[in-house]
Amino acid sequence: MTRSRCMLLVPVLALAILVGLGVTPAAAQTPKSGGHLNIMLREDLSPGFAVHESSTISTSFPSMPCFNNLVVFDQLKRAETPENIVGELAEKWSWQDNYRNLVFFLRKNVKWHDGQAFTSKDVKFTFDMLREAPEATAKLRINPRKDWYANIEAVEAADPSTVVFRLKRPQPGLLNMLASGYTPIYAAHVNPATYRTACIGTGPFKVKEWRKGEFVDYVKNPDYFMKGRPYLDSLRYVIIKERGTRVAALQSGQLDVSFPGETTKTAAEQLKKAVPQLVITPVAQAVSDNIIMNTKKAPFDNPKVRQAVSYAIDRRGLIQAVHQGGAVPGASMQPKPYGVWGLLEKDLAVLPGYGKPADMKARARKLLGEAGISAQNPLRVEMATRAIAIYVDMASFVINELKQVGIEASLKQVETAQWHAMATRGDYQIGANLTGLGVDEPDANYYENYACGSPRNYSQYCSELVMKMIDQQSQELNPQKRLQMLATLQRQIEEEAARPILDWKLDYFTFWPYVKGLVPHDNIYNFGRMADVWRDK
Amino acid sequence: MKTYIAQRLGIGLLTLLGMSIVIFGMLRLAPGDIVDILFSTGGYVNPVERVAIEKELGLDRPVWVQYLEWMRQILTGDLGKSYRYDLPAWEIIRPLIPVTLELAVLSLIVSVALGVPLGVISAVRQDTPLDYALRVFSLAGLSMPSFWLGMVIILGLVAWIGWIPPVTYVSPSENFWLHAVQFALPSLAVGYRSSALIMRITRSSLLEVMREDYIRTARAKGQSGSVVIWRHALQNAILPVVTVIGIEFAFLIGGLVVTETVFNLPGLARFLVEAILWRDYPIVQNLVMFIAIVVIVSNLVVDMLYGFLDPRVRYGH
Repeated sequence: MTRSRCMLLVPVLALAILVGLGVTPAAAQTPKSGGHLNIMLREDLSPGFAVHESSTISTSFPSMPCFNNLVVFDQLKRAETPENIVGELAEKWSWQDNYRNLVFFLRKNVKWHDGQAFTSKDVKFTFDMLREAPEATAKLRINPRKDWYANIEAVEAADPSTVVFRLKRPQPGLLNMLASGYTPIYAAHVNPATYRTACIGTGPFKVKEWRKGEFVDYVKNPDYFMKGRPYLDSLRYVIIKERGTRVAALQSGQLDVSFPGETTKTAAEQLKKAVPQLVITPVAQAVSDNIIMNTKKAPFDNPKVRQAVSYAIDRRGLIQAVHQGGAVPGASMQPKPYGVWGLLEKDLAVLPGYGKPADMKARARKLLGEAGISAQNPLRVEMATRAIAIYVDMASFVINELKQVGIEASLKQVETAQWHAMATRGDYQIGANLTGLGVDEPDANYYENYACGSPRNYSQYCSELVMKMIDQQSQELNPQKRLQMLATLQRQIEEEAARPILDWKLDYFTFWPYVKGLVPHDNIYNFGRMADVWRDK
Repeated sequence: MKTYIAQRLGIGLLTLLGMSIVIFGMLRLAPGDIVDILFSTGGYVNPVERVAIEKELGLDRPVWVQYLEWMRQILTGDLGKSYRYDLPAWEIIRPLIPVTLELAVLSLIVSVALGVPLGVISAVRQDTPLDYALRVFSLAGLSMPSFWLGMVIILGLVAWIGWIPPVTYVSPSENFWLHAVQFALPSLAVGYRSSALIMRITRSSLLEVMREDYIRTARAKGQSGSVVIWRHALQNAILPVVTVIGIEFAFLIGGLVVTETVFNLPGLARFLVEAILWRDYPIVQNLVMFIAIVVIVSNLVVDMLYGFLDPRVRYGH
């Protein structure tokens, strides 16, 4: 072997060893401090930084650098598993009394951006407000995730650095919900309404300026509790409404990082062709396409009609036609390997809409026939959807599928201003909907979207059996057993066509190669703290 | 003259009053309101919380009370508070105005600088290959929407040279040249479309004037072609062009929505659309009133200009 060949072999071997150890070359690099990043935003923050009053990524993602949670999903790991939960404001935590009490031991010497000290009072303030406890000292204008905290009986600030969550019954999944990007801690000394216009957090970056409709500027928080972090000096979230301009800005290097959920498979392919050096990571969004059917009104109060709709829609056909392959099939929890609790491919195969399209449609026609609907006596319904392209594309595909089994659906586009009001009131027959899951946790999903009486249970589906199953899985302490219970629950919900899930969307998260330490998660809502991100340029 | 201006201002005030009623009424007739949208960001609606928010925003009061309150606010110089941003409306509107005004003025300069000379050339060289070429050029301008042209410019630039103008607003004090570059392309895109209209009006108006007896007399007196065109013909042909320029300016103030969106300029037209989608009544009402004022004032200015441009036009008689 020649000397030059030896020289060549050394880095190759080193790389092989690093890969073998599970260390990528990027991770092996030493982070550099300093620099600035421009990050894409597709609309202005609404309502400001008030994360607890919002369920949109347009609020949570650009607010992430300002806040901290008690615990959070490890920002450097893509998978959001319970094992990947790490402490943030909580240094450590402990389940006690057979998962009835959750005790957090808080970090000391943490300061709010206005200089005041962070204590257990802030944690109690936040969660009393969220669960609308009688002793709460503040109230949110709207409270979309109240159901997440319904099992908390009391939050006790035992001392300035200890907080105890007392639960009505065991609920191991609570920790997952506390790790979501939707669960930041608010300051007790700040009126929650203030967060609509400003942000007082403990996070790695402080808001410098929010120019409405233009950008949000952050500067490094010099007092951040994690020494040496953040690496970057500043961040700018640039609001660009026009999709073509957003892509051009990323392509031209005016933006360094795209927006979660922004890049479709087709767009990613075009971007890669235009700028081969861009780093594009396919991840799950934790957003599903689904069908909502009003179970309180004819004809969808008849389970057979609902099941027929579910059988009629070819899930794989939809993924190819509407998403060009940029989505995956799944039931009510995000499927593996993107989620922890989803059904396996083999389990899905027996569910409505996953078999051979011709067989599924024949089954749908049979069910409709049993409900008195036939080609001679077709069912005419109005398919409502939001007047947004991604909704309309999906609805159009579904309408075509339904037509093939004898359901004549006409499309009704509803403006965003009216959509949720209409869905909550049940002023519709059938609708094409998108649902984002703030965290891959069954409790968050089922209590929010399937529980009797929940305002976000747009189908108004209510089953005693399913409620019992939801409660049972929620308090199951053995993860394997819980997984089995959830598989049964998911099959039950899909077979009853409570809210047929059509697919789970993928995102092709894009950034320039000099952006390091930014790991997109399989859930768009829970990454973007930016403390570990640095710039290799 | 003073009486005429006073009359016009009086009519303008009445128009604004009528406009205010129309804007106010139409906004309330549109389905959905800000409370629905606030809940939309939460993905649900709670009737109890809804009532509380309506009260907080003053939407629970009778419509006529809300209208009178708005009128009172206008008269006292207080434009109310944005529902969406929870900030004084003026604080939000103020930085948007110079951006749109600058873009509109620059676009108008481009359109006049292109439209008037090309219209003259086209008229003078009537039915020649140059005239045909210029007519095609102007027709193309009229046929291509400025937002489409803007998007083609953006996509073309990024594909060919990997560069686009800044996507965040750069103020002239911050970096004058970058500011100039940022406004040059949208001004050209919008100005080209407007120039097409101005060119066609200039051409037809000039052709009409060129057939007048006094033009023939001027030529018979031996005056040079350029003097006849620029001194005699154009001065008389310019009145319809000035009218079009005035209308174009008024149109641009509210009509730059898509151009501002494509070039990501923080102007009031783009913001107005956002505010309408959010049913942010204080912002929408006040922005539309501002646009109405600009239209009324620009029309008045055009009428005043007639007097200066054509001594035969006299007011107040």
